[in-house]
Amino acid sequence: MYDKTVRRRRAVLALLVVLSLLLLTAYFGEAPNGRLHGVQRDFLTVVSPIQDGANKALKPVRDLFSWFGNTLHAKSQLAQALKQTEKLRRELVAEQAEKRSYRELLALDHLDQLGVSDYRPVTATVIYTDPNLWYSTVVIDKGESAGVQRNDPVINEEGLVGKVVQAAPDGALVDLITDSSMGVSARIGTSQATGIVQPKVGDPSDLLLGYLPSNAQANGGEWVVTSGTVSPAFPSLYPPGLLIGQVTSVNEESAYKSVNVHPVANLHDLDIVQVLTAAAGTRPANLSQLAVSLPAGAAGAPNGGEQLASTQVGE
Amino acid sequence: MSSASRGPLALRLAGFALIVVFFQIGVVSEVPVFGVNAELCALMVAFVGLLCGSTVGAVCGFAVGLVIDLALLQTLGLTSLIFTLIGYWCGRLRELRDPQAALTPLLVGVSATALSLVGYSLMEFMLGVDAPVSFELLRVIVLGVLVNSIVALPMWALTRRSLEGAMPEDPRRRRRRAYTTGGLSPLSKA
Repeated sequence: MYDKTVRRRRAVLALLVVLSLLLLTAYFGEAPNGRLHGVQRDFLTVVSPIQDGANKALKPVRDLFSWFGNTLHAKSQLAQALKQTEKLRRELVAEQAEKRSYRELLALDHLDQLGVSDYRPVTATVIYTDPNLWYSTVVIDKGESAGVQRNDPVINEEGLVGKVVQAAPDGALVDLITDSSMGVSARIGTSQATGIVQPKVGDPSDLLLGYLPSNAQANGGEWVVTSGTVSPAFPSLYPPGLLIGQVTSVNEESAYKSVNVHPVANLHDLDIVQVLTAAAGTRPANLSQLAVSLPAGAAGAPNGGEQLASTQVGE
Repeated sequence: MSSASRGPLALRLAGFALIVVFFQIGVVSEVPVFGVNAELCALMVAFVGLLCGSTVGAVCGFAVGLVIDLALLQTLGLTSLIFTLIGYWCGRLRELRDPQAALTPLLVGVSATALSLVGYSLMEFMLGVDAPVSFELLRVIVLGVLVNSIVALPMWALTRRSLEGAMPEDPRRRRRRAYTTGGLSPLSKA
């Protein structure tokens, strides 16, 4: 009797471990549109209304907890914000004059650059935030039925948040810009030098703008924005000028310069986001299609591979 | 465990596990404490193992891990594998040692959390996920264990209460019986 119990216990453990390893191997080896990924998407479709409902019902509880943390955090940020407001007010006056000249120049040269207006924003609610150190991802409640597709940029009122990596009918998985697999082509303020923003090794809540030319000008406090079209042949997925973060410090390296960037969007407290979707046949949709079809090996190179800076580097 | 007692236990376990998983996904994951989040699911699996034994613990761990991986679009099988081992290990602890100290749930909860965080990190390394290896990882593991140690005892009480009456054998009942039947009772020496 005892032997039978022991044998059964060991058999159950062995079965479950083998099953887990089989799932792991099969899932890791298959393509994103494979069968197991499909099962996951179907499961998300089923549970996403439940998650959405639970998310809404439990929001007061969450808000209560967040309130304490936010209050303490806000107090420490007040002085810094006041100083920044004053600085921004001065900058705004100068920017308005510059903007007027820029518009005149655009009209003069008939320049047609990809902009946010080329996209159709879909507002979505974050129904799950993955706190995992390994994956900075969130799940949103809008998916393919709302026009959300893989590689669509995701923003919030503060700036760039990430991009869609998997879309189910009623939900989508978004990789945040702090995810280790992400890379976004970007530039500092009005500078022409472009680099790639990636999570900082050792501190995944901060970013590093790397591959900048060694003579690129960079100062603390400057804003880092998406560069948009970085290579004439293969443009970036993200519209230009989306705010990513602020330069905190500059690292002088041998061949390339890199700067530390603090993301401007509060990625730990995402609630409402917008997915910049594009209808089939439009320019952003074509560019997205192009980026997906590009070979993964092209990623990572500072110049030749810039087109993939906006796609998954790790893929 | 008789098949008659298995039915109610399975139902209660399934209901309780689903509630905990959705609470973890809907609320706990969005309320960071010291920059990390409590891991109620790992605690629940450990406590189910501690209360119900290794087989039930392992099956519960596998099922909870699978639901988490499916719901969060994570690598399938990863959380299942880690939670299966945690559930089994805690179950074996009960079967071999049957610890009765008041702080046992706290120690088991802390160990299970550490095991899950370290195990998860190791698995990700082996799968080649490009992630920062640094002081930050250590900080997250230490803080995660610390936060879970705070919620371990309430979670233990909740798990115990939820499964009360359907458990295969109540450890407290078993301990009482050990003292009143047979020669092991200290009273029999008097």
